[in-house]
Amino acid sequence: MKFKLLIAAAALVAIAGTASAQIKPEEAIKWRQSGYGFMAWNMARIKMNVEGAAYNKEEVVKAANAIQAIANSGMGALYLPGTDTGTGWEKTRAKPELWTNKETLGKVATAFNKEANEMAKVAAAGDAAAAKDQFGKLAATCKGCHDEFKIKQ
Amino acid sequence: MDHRDYRLWDLPTRLFHWFLALAIVAASVSGQLGGGLMTLHGRIGLAVVGLLAFRLAWGLVGSTYARFGQFFPTPARIRAYLRGEWQGTGHNPLGALSVFCLLGVLIAQAATGLFANDDIAFTGPLYDLAGKARSNGLTAIHHLLSKLVYVLVALHLAAVAFYAFARKQNLVRPMLTGRKAGTGEPARGGGAVALAVALAVAAVAVHGARGGWMPPPPPPPPAASTPDF
Ligand code: HEC
Ligand code: HEM
Repeated sequence: MKFKLLIAAAALVAIAGTASAQIKPEEAIKWRQSGYGFMAWNMARIKMNVEGAAYNKEEVVKAANAIQAIANSGMGALYLPGTDTGTGWEKTRAKPELWTNKETLGKVATAFNKEANEMAKVAAAGDAAAAKDQFGKLAATCKGCHDEFKIKQ
Repeated sequence: MDHRDYRLWDLPTRLFHWFLALAIVAASVSGQLGGGLMTLHGRIGLAVVGLLAFRLAWGLVGSTYARFGQFFPTPARIRAYLRGEWQGTGHNPLGALSVFCLLGVLIAQAATGLFANDDIAFTGPLYDLAGKARSNGLTAIHHLLSKLVYVLVALHLAAVAFYAFARKQNLVRPMLTGRKAGTGEPARGGGAVALAVALAVAAVAVHGARGGWMPPPPPPPPAASTPDF
């Protein structure tokens, strides 16, 4: 019985393994670039509301929820080994350090997730000034990762 | 004790100098912190554009020692200065070289910033003229040039310190009071008309840098709300 379980588990691992191996490198790069691009749209929407004349709570909630969802989606899985070079929608701008400096990556990613979750909370509360403040903090964590792991070009 | 002094730096030059110093510090800090400070960074950058345009104009129409022609560092003048033979008033040829380098690099810094983007939520006002790909390239230059700005500012401060301690020459006081101890030809010119012209040049530059001549963007949708899908 135990042996059967082990085989089943091994099979599952193998399937899971092939499932992620089946993501083509260029797909992985496209998807992560798409994720970031989509977040940038949502950041722009929040910015428009906190810096513009009128604050539309519903819009900010939608945008913040979208960012939160992506932040918690496990996007790290898209950094397949070997995809520090290659082309998705454009040539990847991920630095090779992203695959080697796990400690810093963990730090900036955790900071980002924290502020993204907080953004969703603040948006739901509906206070424009607080949202503006939180927007700044969130944007700073995007930059925190970009400074370390995105090539400027 | 001889208390004679003469008019060296006119008031507009001095105001330009200190506002520029302030703006560069503020732009560096806001640019490096990013996040919610990027909007401010863009505004400070535009102020720098105005200051630089003013200085370029003032270099033509300002008072004696503010004029580029008066202190343009020709190789002959630099050689004379290094041999210790330079006899002049105002910027010495090496100082003049530093002025032109700083102005040039800052012009490039501000100009690239106008087209830059931070890949988060901020773009320079002329971003649309460049498009995303070229903007990325200019952003990288903006980033690299900022290091050069630090190097030049550090050299500038080191030179001031060198003259203060090694040469016993206080360069800061004339930049505050406008007057230099000793005798020399007092600065002339740079009156109200010249000032108005230089200010107008600065205003035009800022207007252009803000995208004042770009085709107006399409009007935003009336209610900033999105559909439910
Ligand atoms: C954990 C690190 C990390 C965080 C956090 C992060 N980014 Fe990025 N971002 C990257 C990397 C790496 C790339 C380059 C991806 C590539 O080209 O393969 C990138 C690329 C981008 C791009 C360019 C996408 C393209 O089309 O090439 C945008 C836009 C962007 N990020 C926006 C954001 C925004 C907005 C946030 C915050 C809400 C954010 N990023 C948070 C690492 C991060
Ligand atoms: C001479 C004045 C300026 C100075 C000294 C300056 C300095 C800086 C510095 C130090 C950074 C951070 C670079 C980095 O983190 O890599 C930066 C980023 C930036 N600046 Fe400026 N800047 C100036 C003018 C401008 C102007 C006029 C604009 C546009 C309005 C602008 C737009 C930007 C943008 C979009 C970034 C973000 C780049 C990034 O995050 O990749 N800057 N600037």
